[in-house]
Amino acid sequence: MTRAYGLIAGIFLIVAWGGVALGQAPKKPASTMESPAATIAVLDHIWLDAAHNRDTGTMAWLFAENFVEIHPGGFIVNKQQQLDQIRDPQVILNEIHPDDIQVRYVSADVAVLTDTTTIRGESAGVKYNGPQRVIRVFVKQNGRWRAAGAGIVPIVPGN
Amino acid sequence: MRKPVFAAMLLLSLLCAPLSFGQTKAATPAAGGEDWNALDHKWLDSERTGDFAYLEKFFADSYVLVLANGQMYTKKEWLGILKSPDHPVIVSINPENVQAHVFGNVAILTDHTTLKGHDAKGNSLDGVFNVFRVVIKENGEWHATGVVMNEDRTKK
Repeated sequence: MTRAYGLIAGIFLIVAWGGVALGQAPKKPASTMESPAATIAVLDHIWLDAAHNRDTGTMAWLFAENFVEIHPGGFIVNKQQQLDQIRDPQVILNEIHPDDIQVRYVSADVAVLTDTTTIRGESAGVKYNGPQRVIRVFVKQNGRWRAAGAGIVPIVPGN
Repeated sequence: MRKPVFAAMLLLSLLCAPLSFGQTKAATPAAGGEDWNALDHKWLDSERTGDFAYLEKFFADSYVLVLANGQMYTKKEWLGILKSPDHPVIVSINPENVQAHVFGNVAILTDHTTLKGHDAKGNSLDGVFNVFRVVIKENGEWHATGVVMNEDRTKK
């Protein structure tokens, strides 16, 4: 079933891009949802939904090869280590979702956002039980936005 | 459970198509050639010595600093704190093991920073942190756009 979805998505993607490449894209003004900032905000949700669902295929698709993330406690992980943590059945992920997404910087190939990510669970001996302040970085590689990294720190109550 | 994700992927494909068409330069990983260690030291030395002329230029307008307690400051707010009469006193601040992850016009630096200092009331600010730093390249120059500090508990 997953492969079938992947095949359909791939065909859909080729058709969509083909229309643009042939100059058949509509000339009407871009809507809000077509802005890079809106795309990045959607990717933030996809990133965390994939983590919650332990969908490491989507995460591998989203993460750039040189991806880096710093977790609470100062633990630094690369792409493979992050995927391995998500796969680990001992990792508990009861809740993970972003709020207050603010795109702070966007250019043709770079976007930086902040969000407040609520995490309830436990990973690598670190317990998560509430809101975390996060900076996320996205880069455009070969025409596609990918996650380059994130810095995460728990918000002490009152901050 | 997978259907919403699938629908979102399809929507994303459509959203990305016009963006990719308008792309003239892609962010690709590169070794860089920048002296990231020197950049990091210059940045923190400027905060320690109060070199505000440098910091005003080096911090992008989008700059945000997230401290280890989750408190977040914008460029204006953080420079305001550093310039205020009751500013924190940084006795020493030393980044080590600076690692750069370069993606064309953005680089993510990670480092291990040791801070010694105190606030205006004499309360210690001493700490050892693993830090996530984001710098962006604009008009050929690197500018700081984000920092997340985490107390280093990796060896505890």
